[in-house]
Amino acid sequence: MSLPRSNYDPRRVCLNPFPVLNIGKHRRTIGIYLAGGLFALANWTFLDAAILSAHAHPPYDEPQLPAPVHVGFTDWVPGICSLLGMLIINLIDKDRVRGEEGFGDSGAVWRARLILFIGFALMAGGLAGSVTVLVLKYVLEEYAEQYTYYGYANVSQNVALMLSTIVLWISQSVGSEYEYNLSI
Amino acid sequence: MAHAGIKTVILLSFVLAVGFLLIILSCALWANWLPLLVALTFVLAPLPNALSASCGGDEFSADYDGPGRSDIGRFITATIVVTGFAFPLVLAHSEVIRPGACVMSIAGGALVYGTILAYSATFKQEDSEFD
Repeated sequence: MSLPRSNYDPRRVCLNPFPVLNIGKHRRTIGIYLAGGLFALANWTFLDAAILSAHAHPPYDEPQLPAPVHVGFTDWVPGICSLLGMLIINLIDKDRVRGEEGFGDSGAVWRARLILFIGFALMAGGLAGSVTVLVLKYVLEEYAEQYTYYGYANVSQNVALMLSTIVLWISQSVGSEYEYNLSI
Repeated sequence: MAHAGIKTVILLSFVLAVGFLLIILSCALWANWLPLLVALTFVLAPLPNALSASCGGDEFSADYDGPGRSDIGRFITATIVVTGFAFPLVLAHSEVIRPGACVMSIAGGALVYGTILAYSATFKQEDSEFD
């Protein structure tokens, strides 16, 4: 007696008859596009603040009052940390981190996890650093709203970079199973 | 839709010309030629996808490196498209260009990119069942 094929198995009551494969394929594509868009959005948010700061002019009614604060190198550091972290996280082979498939020795899995941890620590450090810059450089000095915007743009850059990394990771790990089935 | 006729080509080229007209007008009306970079950005936008599709080789050699090549093509494409929309907004925000030039260059860029998308969707090759 041959068993019925698993997707037509009548004993499985709660089976979702919806075709999963198509959705999975498009979910991967959409996720990658979304991650790229978030990445560009993050960097343009911060570049907007930087360009705005470079073109800042005194208000028209008091022309001798210069802008009290500019975007300096300290504002760039959290974004650079987040970018490095994103690069490191995406350079790691996902199968090595999972420790399956018998790649090499167990030391390779340990090293991959360590480097992944460094990547996530860089991203979290970038986010925390941007909040630090926002509080110490802009909020505590009680600048006007158009100058605290630089700090908020910095925080949203790092949040969007983190979201982009998460979306990229999820969509890549969702789609790999489907690709594997297709190639068999 | 393999037999999309010559009317489609004419319509698409007309829309493309209107898009470039809007972008060039947004530069020339205020004598500030920075928004012309938007046209360059949107023309470059489908390039990574095309590169990753044509460098992929046949389906047997593509299995070895997995789907990473088309992934990075899509990632860079999305980045360039968002850059094309964000660049005039940033320029207008810092008062380098006028808001009118910003709106016109964004509309022109969207028309140009929409034309490229519609062209590649209409005249797609027949082997599109698996990608």
